Amino acid sequence: MKRIICIGNRYVRQDSAGPAVYDLLSQEELPADVELVDGGLAGLNLLGFFDDAELVVLVDNVSGFSSHNGTVVLEPEDIVPLAKNIYDHASGLPYLLRALPEVIEGNAPRIVVVGVEGDYDESVIADAARLALKTAADLGRGRLVVDGTPGGA
Amino acid sequence: MAPERINVSMNRVEGDLEVSVDVDGGVVTDARCSGTMYRGFEKILKGRGSYDGLVITPRICGICSTSHLVAASRALDMITGVKVPPDAVRIRNIAQMSEHIQSDVRHGMLMFAVDFVNPAYKDHPMFDEAVQRYEPFKGKSIVETIRETKKVLEIIAIIGGQWPHSSFMVPGGIASIPSKSDLLQCSLLLRQYKAWYEQRILGCSIERWREIRSAADLDAWLEERPEHRESDLGFYLRFARSIGLDKTGKGVGAFLSFGALELPEGTTVGAAGASSLVPAGFAHAGRVSGFDQAKIAEHVASSWYVDYEGGKHPFEGETNPYATGKENEKYSWAKAPRYDNHPAETGPLAEMVIAGNPLIVSLIDKEGPSTYLRELARLVRPTELMPAMETWLTEINFNSKYYTLPGEVRTGEGFGLTQASRGALGHWVKIENDVIRHYQIITPSAWNFSPRDSGKRRGPVEEALSGTRIKDMANPVELGHIVRSFDACLVCTVHTARRDEGHRY
Repeated sequence: MKRIICIGNRYVRQDSAGPAVYDLLSQEELPADVELVDGGLAGLNLLGFFDDAELVVLVDNVSGFSSHNGTVVLEPEDIVPLAKNIYDHASGLPYLLRALPEVIEGNAPRIVVVGVEGDYDESVIADAARLALKTAADLGRGRLVVDGTPGGA
Repeated sequence: MAPERINVSMNRVEGDLEVSVDVDGGVVTDARCSGTMYRGFEKILKGRGSYDGLVITPRICGICSTSHLVAASRALDMITGVKVPPDAVRIRNIAQMSEHIQSDVRHGMLMFAVDFVNPAYKDHPMFDEAVQRYEPFKGKSIVETIRETKKVLEIIAIIGGQWPHSSFMVPGGIASIPSKSDLLQCSLLLRQYKAWYEQRILGCSIERWREIRSAADLDAWLEERPEHRESDLGFYLRFARSIGLDKTGKGVGAFLSFGALELPEGTTVGAAGASSLVPAGFAHAGRVSGFDQAKIAEHVASSWYVDYEGGKHPFEGETNPYATGKENEKYSWAKAPRYDNHPAETGPLAEMVIAGNPLIVSLIDKEGPSTYLRELARLVRPTELMPAMETWLTEINFNSKYYTLPGEVRTGEGFGLTQASRGALGHWVKIENDVIRHYQIITPSAWNFSPRDSGKRRGPVEEALSGTRIKDMANPVELGHIVRSFDACLVCTVHTARRDEGHRY
């Protein structure tokens, strides 16, 4: 199973790209082996979605990973160093990805983060949705190519 | 030495909470809690369809999602006048309790005990043991807690049909009907979690723990078996006392519970004559009195909202942001809720004081409220909840009725009160012609982290911090313990991974 997990707070503009991508993808017919998850604010509680997955594509707002607004494809290694030591209710993706290797059951899935840097419009959300789907489709066959995106696979 | 004001780096506690304290001679002389982000859910909900709170409010918070759903559903139950079938009550309760038993342990280990490896304690004789247990991402207790607590929420996914952000509770009951297999799966998940909790956290069975009824019993229990001393609770009792947490964080000395977990008809759970497993009440000056939601008022004298005189009941409450002017007086986006004109602490300790838990009452009588006692109550609250969950899972008739069609009420008002993991949570709702005309939410952290009210009285955390002695101004770990014992949640907002701002999320 491959999962696209869209993360964020749909009631806060600067954290709502993930839910916007979810809303867009939920209107499309996805490949049978791709599951779409409205990860919302679940944070560490999303760990269960990694246990039986071969690939997890996370979609979330990011900041400071690109000099211009738009989408950026990141690896967990780009995010994990941002994890702080103490968990709190606002712990986001960094804590989740940092904790994952310690608690995963079975084989860890391949993980890719589709980030949305800065403010966004419909075209950025559409691009993020396209990237998430392309990642899910291509990585399964081992040939993801993303042009010109910092940290891209 | 001249008094100084320091801003404590409470981003380590909660992204949208800032605490500043005035310190004179190493002692905190004053404190201010500031919620730094406007939420505005009351505005978002106004004008929406009458049932939209069921979908929107669970998304207010990723931790207390189910409790918001409970509050929203109960408000609509009241407005529609519908009676929820007993087994639907059981299902609602089990879902909410799953959230609590996860949150309590996560807080104790990941948010509170992790501070025991603070460099301030590097010379403490128990420091090495603390590191083995609570080193971030590596300590045995940390890793086990993350691993075990991720499973128990599957109970909500199974009975709610969706997780996260389930909206399976509706006025009149629940919308997803659990099968016999679903309930068996829930029982298995609960049994596994309980077994781990007893072995790792308690060091004994829940039944043995509940035999402890006094401070003397607790001391005897700690020395009774090595498993008790070596459990995380045993370690907590020894370490927390050794660093003086039993002498800090007293607070306002007033406790509030809205009551929660309605007892369904025919259940064997709960005290005779009780209407809920967690009783409602208000405790002040050693006296517990009945609860009346009409005595709640929200003040905005220190909050960035348009002023009004005194406080307003949430049915009459206003949420009109006003971020300019009076900048020295107004310092928080959180309002200041008061009960019967008192600031009041809420959470597991308040629940147990009001319920008359023998151990907690004994400790309060002996030592008074403290940081230590507040966190102890949270760590052991699952011992009050899991036995009831087990019983309710066995009492449910899977062929039962789970929904009563509510009558059509296009206009009305009602409130939904419950106890979220962090304490008293309320939704006050008015509907006109099937549209939400008014929606006020008071969260637990609004009570605990409230700013000053119109009478200039501090909120519970502000009061708990005042008088605290700080050993090292560069590392005020004492303040972190106190603030964290209230389990701040102000509320899940911006979670963006920010490389440009270091470790702020």
